[in-house]
Parts: sequence; C-alpha cells; structure tokens
Amino acid sequence: MGKHSRFNRREFLGAMAAAGGGMLAAGLVRPGEIRAAKPSGKPVKIGHQCVLSGVLGGYGQFMQMGATLAAEEINAAGGILGRPLEFEFRDSQVKPAVAVKNARYFVDKYGADFHAGIDSSGVALAVGKIMPQLKKILMVTHGATEKYNEQLVYKEGNKYLFRISVPVYQDGIASAMIAKDFPVKRWANIGPKYEYGYTSWQMFKDTLKKFRPDVEFVEESWAPFGTTDFGPHISKVMAANPEGIFTTEWAGEAVALVKQAKLFGVFGKIKEWVNPMGGAMDVLEGLGKDYPEGLWVSSRYWFLYPPTNINESFVQRFHKRWGRYPHYSSETSYSAYWALKQASELAGSTETEKVIKALEGMTMISPAGRRWFRKEDHQAVYEVPWGRTKADPKYPFRILGDLRAVPAELYYRHPPFDA
Amino acid sequence: MFEQLLFQGLVGLSLAMYLWLVSAGLTLIFGVLGVLNFAHGSLYMLGAYFGYSAVRVLGVSFWVGLAVAPLLVALVGGFIERFFIRRVYHIDVAYQLLLTFAFILIFADLVKWYWGPIYQSAPVPAGLSGALPILGRPFPVYNLFVMALGPLAALGLWLLLEKTWWGRTVRAAAGDREMAGAIGVNVPQLFTGVFMFGSWLGAVGGALGIPIRTVSPGMAEDYIIQAFAVAVIGGLGNLKGAFIGSVLIGLVNAYGHLYAPVFELAFMYILMAAILILRPQGIFGTSQ
Repeated sequence: MGKHSRFNRREFLGAMAAAGGGMLAAGLVRPGEIRAAKPSGKPVKIGHQCVLSGVLGGYGQFMQMGATLAAEEINAAGGILGRPLEFEFRDSQVKPAVAVKNARYFVDKYGADFHAGIDSSGVALAVGKIMPQLKKILMVTHGATEKYNEQLVYKEGNKYLFRISVPVYQDGIASAMIAKDFPVKRWANIGPKYEYGYTSWQMFKDTLKKFRPDVEFVEESWAPFGTTDFGPHISKVMAANPEGIFTTEWAGEAVALVKQAKLFGVFGKIKEWVNPMGGAMDVLEGLGKDYPEGLWVSSRYWFLYPPTNINESFVQRFHKRWGRYPHYSSETSYSAYWALKQASELAGSTETEKVIKALEGMTMISPAGRRWFRKEDHQAVYEVPWGRTKADPKYPFRILGDLRAVPAELYYRHPPFDA
Repeated sequence: MFEQLLFQGLVGLSLAMYLWLVSAGLTLIFGVLGVLNFAHGSLYMLGAYFGYSAVRVLGVSFWVGLAVAPLLVALVGGFIERFFIRRVYHIDVAYQLLLTFAFILIFADLVKWYWGPIYQSAPVPAGLSGALPILGRPFPVYNLFVMALGPLAALGLWLLLEKTWWGRTVRAAAGDREMAGAIGVNVPQLFTGVFMFGSWLGAVGGALGIPIRTVSPGMAEDYIIQAFAVAVIGGLGNLKGAFIGSVLIGLVNAYGHLYAPVFELAFMYILMAAILILRPQGIFGTSQ
C-alpha cells in the first residue's frame, strides 16, 4: 500500500504544520492521550441528526457511538477553545420535512454552533438548502450524493455545507477502477430503486466503459427501499447470464440479498460480485460466516485501514467503550467533531464565517487517514480501500483481503465538474 | 424465454406461500373475532426475534427455534386478547384499530430496547442451504420448503375448521356468538384460543423467515401492509380468499419486476384497487 502506510508522529506533526501553519497546541493533541485543563465557560454545541427509528435505526446508533466517544475525548483534552463540547441527537426519520424541522430546532432553540449528521442524499439536499438561512455549518457524515458538493456548494456557492464522508464517487467510480481489471465482460446490476442506486450504477458504467470498451451491461433490476425478498430480482438478472454483478444494496438489504443470492447459486455461476457498501461493519457482522469469500467490497471507512497507530488506537478505544468495532458512520461522526474542534481552534472562534475559512483547505489526521477539505466544493478527500471478503480466525466475521486502494485524486471528480 | 417465464413464476409462488403463511392468522382472527388486528405484524416480528434468540443466543438449531418461538408468541397473543382486545369487541371498530396499532408501537420500542436498533440475522440451516436444478437453473431448497409448507398449512387449517369439533364450534361462534354462547359454548375462551392460534401462525411466518431475511424493529410494518392487501383482495376474513390473494400478489410481484419494473411499487396497490372496484367484497368475500 506504499504511500498510504503508517504516519508516525513526526509525519503527523509535519502534515499538520504544512496544512495549517501555526497551529495551537490544543489542536495537536492526540485523541484520548493527554488530560488537559477542565473545559469551562459557555459550551460549544453540535446539533446532530440521523435515522434513529425503523429498519435503519442502527445507523443512528453507530453515529451516536462515534459522536459520544469524540465528545468525551475532546472534553478530556480541554474542550474546544477551552469550552466544553455538548451535543444533542434527533431522529431525522429519513424524511426531508422532519430533518428541516430538526435543523431549525437545533439553531433556534438548542443554540447549536454546528450541525452534523444526515444519512440520506435527499435529506442532505433538503437541509443543505436551508443552511444559508440558518447561517450555520452543516457537516454531513453519511449522505453521499454528488449533488451536495458539486451543485449546492460549487455551482450555487452554498458555503455552509461540508462533508467528511466519501461521496458516491467511491461507489460508482472507484468500483469501476477496481472492476476494469476483472476478466468480466457481461455486467448486471441489482440496485436500490432511488437516486443513490441509479447514480452509482451510471457512474460505474460510464467509468468502466472508458477503460473497457468491450464490456456489456446486460440486465438491471431495481429493488424499492424495504425490499425483503430479492428472489424475483435475482431470477431476472441471472436469466441474462451475467459474469459480474454490481450492487449498491446496503445495510439489512445487502445482507438479505447476499443470503438469497447464495441460495440461488449465484456465486457459483458468476465470476465477480462488487458491492461498494458490502464492507460496512453492519453487513460484515450481519452476514457473519454466511458471507461468501472472494467478493469485492468497500465501505466509507473500514476499521483495519489505514494500518496507522492513530487508527489502531481509535479502534481499541472504541472497542473498549462500546464492545464492538467502529462502523463507518461511527468514524465519520467521530472525525466530524474533531474536525470542528480543529477548525474552531485554527479560527480562534466558533463564528460560522471564521470556521468556514478555517475548514476550507484544512487537513486533518483522522482514524480513516489524512483527510483534506477541498476548498472549491468543501468535500473531504480521503480514500477507502477495496478488498475481497476473506475469513480470519481473529474475527467472527469476514474481513477484507487483497486490499486495493485507488488514490482519491484519481477517482474523485474535480471542479468544475463538467465532464 | 418460456423457461424464464416458468422460473419467475416459481419464484413468485414461493413469495406467495410465504405471504400466505404470514397473513393466514390475520384473516382467521378477522373472520372469527371480527377484529382487524394490526398487532399481527408485531406478533410476526416477535416470532422472528424469538427464533433469532433461540438460534443466536441459546445456540439451538433453526428447527427448534421454529418449533418453540411461535408457541411463546401464542402465549403473548393470548395475553393481549384476554386483557385488552376482549374489552373492545363490542365497541366501534376505530377503537379496535387504535388499540391494535398501539401494540405495534409498543412492541417496536420493546424490541428496540431489548435487542437494540441494529438489525440482526441468523445463519441459514444446513438442510435448507442448497439448491436443486429446475429448468436448468439452481432453485433454492429453502424456497421449495416454503412452497410445500403453504399448501400443507392450508390443508391443515381446512381440516381443523371443517372436520374437528373445535373447528365447528369456532365456525358456530363466528356466525352468531350469542347463539353459540346460549347453547353452551364458552365463547370468550374460544376466542382467546383462536387469537392464540392466529398469533402462532403469524409467528411461524416470522421464525421461518430469519435465515434469509433480517430481523429488525421496523419489520412489523413491512408485512402487515402486504398481509392486509392479501385480506382485502381475497375478501376480509376468508381463508380461501387469502390463499388466492397471496398467490396473486406473489405472481404480480414476480412478473411485474420482469415486464413493468417502473411500476413495481404500485403493483400490489393496483391489484387491490382493481379488486375493490370490480368486486368490493373481495374475491371470496360475501357482500353484506
């Protein structure tokens, strides 16, 4: 993995210095290591919303775990600008109207300095559009639509919006850069029947076609949100004799799809299975030993990558605190809080305008590796590896083997986003 | 092409038989007790959670879970009928809906509190994990098992209701509960029994699904809507209708994905609307 490997403390400091110039000592505190003066004064508040009910309720809990750990560590390290960090969670119910109300509540009633979270693309766009009225920063930790950074931030100049998690480029473009080397000519798709599914499949096709003019896309089947029986989709797609299947089903639907595909003998017939969300901790744990080996999967952060001290120590502390390994939503929420701390301390203030300036172009060292916030579209740039599912005696679930990381610079789309 | 059509039909039939198993209890309870039991979705969910716990926590086999979990859920159903539903038989149907809907919310929160908000899943049992070649393609043994269980359950229900003393008293009480009471049938006790039996059926569906589905606090709503559609299409309270309704929904779903994927979400509702327009009482329902 060459250049993505370990940062030692010196490189870490160097990267910080190069990025931020004269940083405050507080900004350099390694998470969870140094006990600083007890924070005091008016608290810095983060309003956080995510899905906390229904079939996806677990995703909200993953965020709460990461956010809680971050806040505990930040407060133990002296808070933000010496002030204590507080946060509150609300359920977005994955409904744009509810989420917009939550955002208003956070700013008008709770007195939030920052807003964070959000699971779905639709919700991210709806809340994103009202942030200029509320004049607070929104740090998205999950919703992946490229319209958020390309349209809202870059084209419409909505400067309040940032995203710390990977955009759909990970799902649609990086996946094709992995798949281009497969001896597969006939691809099919089983995808979620909404924006995310359509966009990722389109990006996958467009990218793959550039590298491999010889591939064909033979069938597609779209499963609505909440599908429990994938039989009709599997049967339809397999009738076209694909050699490779691409899917962006995620969470419980990814689990049900893999189990049912296995029963239909799919993995014995096709050569490759590619799922950008198949490496998420909930899917790995949900499938356990039922997860066939050798499938290509990724995620938005995977707990054993990068193999840095910072990440290993984060995973250890997380496991000690919650008794489980961090989900990607836990890591992005955790890092979102540390990013807001670092930016506030660079700015010397929690005032929105000043923190926006500090975040633009800011580099941070996080468990997921080095992230930097692109000035033009406020998107954090970092890469998440791909790998083949494989058994490991140390874990009761599959981990990723044959790791391959496409450098973020190569698979992220770049301003002016015309191509 | 023709083979693809048949294969897709088989997949649709396996969906249908699963749906039938889940909705039979709902239909039975409505047919006999006259209560539209929203909580049936929760009992289905509890069946899945108990089955999951049996397999994952107690470490017993899927089959033991499938045998035991529905019995426990029947007890829960008996408790609900005895202490809550019994009180609303005589009042407006709106109160019955409110009460049973309240149970959906209560059970969703209880389940979230005890098992957590994260979905769970159980491994596929060895005996059901393979596939058999049908029409030259692998078809899951699990689906074949469900397809066999559906008609068996239908036959069992028919025998129970038509050929046994208990079934005859149930039908008598369903027809006229006061008259049944007057000739010495203990109607309240009988109703508790029917409710427990209906709960058991729903829970069998839940426990049966855990190897290939996920178990989550939101799953009650998933199936209750489909089960209601089945009941409406077939004729509320009519078991034969529920069986046919399930087959229709299963096939429409399977072929819909193939030929009209754009309207996928609407298939079930279009079918329901068509039946309501052409035959408002449902296929086997009797007009009142």
